[in-house]
Amino acid sequence: MDEFNDNEITKLLRLKRYEQPTPGYFENFLHEFHRRQRDELLRQPLWRICVDRARDFALSFNLSTLTSYPAAVTAVLVCAAVISLRIYEAPQPATVAAKDRPVLVVPASTEPEWTLASPVATRVFNTRSLRNIKESAQTHRSATPRYVLDSVPVSYETTFKF
Amino acid sequence: MDEPRKDEDQQLVARTQEGDASAFDQLVVKYTPRLYGLVYNMTSNHEDTNDLLQDIFSKAYKAIRGFRGKSSFYTWIHSIAVNMTLNFLKKRGRRFQLSLDDVDASIQNDKEFLEATASTSPVREADLSELQKRLNEAMMKLSDEHRAVVTMFHIQGMPHAEISKILRVSEGTVRSRLFYANRQLQNYLDEFRKNPVT
Repeated sequence: MDEFNDNEITKLLRLKRYEQPTPGYFENFLHEFHRRQRDELLRQPLWRICVDRARDFALSFNLSTLTSYPAAVTAVLVCAAVISLRIYEAPQPATVAAKDRPVLVVPASTEPEWTLASPVATRVFNTRSLRNIKESAQTHRSATPRYVLDSVPVSYETTFKF
Repeated sequence: MDEPRKDEDQQLVARTQEGDASAFDQLVVKYTPRLYGLVYNMTSNHEDTNDLLQDIFSKAYKAIRGFRGKSSFYTWIHSIAVNMTLNFLKKRGRRFQLSLDDVDASIQNDKEFLEATASTSPVREADLSELQKRLNEAMMKLSDEHRAVVTMFHIQGMPHAEISKILRVSEGTVRSRLFYANRQLQNYLDEFRKNPVT
């Protein structure tokens, strides 16, 4: 019995070229394609349509050349951010002094009750809680204490001219 | 692929990219019969072929704006078709139904067909339709990749170089797949000739 050789198989396979769909299939294919496109468009949510349009718009440019520019700009921005952070990253010097500053607390209970029997003129303030000279000097650090009268330095008092 | 057809395709692609949908319609009309043969011989099912063809052209239409013409449109659309069909076949698995009823019955009256069969001795001896059925079954026993190569080379008449571009494999791979597939088909058909009833 004969056996199939390569040539015979090739001829037999080429016969499959004649296998065609039902008549009219190719004529209707384009209509079916349009119908499916419309259906697909109607089924899509709005955001998807917007994304597709944006993508199509982006693809209309030559992306391979355009992508180099954003990459370069991003690299420059990152470098600038790192440099600026290092420049402004200076130590904070006055924070220790501010922390150690004594808090002025005036307990309300230490003051005597105001009565008509103790007029204002004779009232003695409790100065214990206020800062003493030593503490005040500490706040001025090494500077020599200045004497202030009525919030105006003595040396700044205008001389009286008659 | 001849140059005038390539130029014509390029013009139609350019018009489509500019928004002329009728240009893409012309591409669809032009390539549907050829792609039908490719997909049908890989799936052996008319309904699957129809759905796949619609999906292939739909995908091509969406992607055509990104087509830069590095390859011809012919190669590009065939690549889409083969890849989508291979993906479909992987999802479908080994279950398949042959829809040989879709084969045009007038094939046996075709002049070229009669000439081809007249010179083929095993075909003369065997019932032709039965042999075609066995051939389809043998085709479906091939792996998807081998069937794709057999379809493009033997049925579609593509050269090795074109197939290698479409599948993105070397020409050597194409040739070896063809050799292996031919051996397998030969074995299946010989078996049928020895045991025609099975």
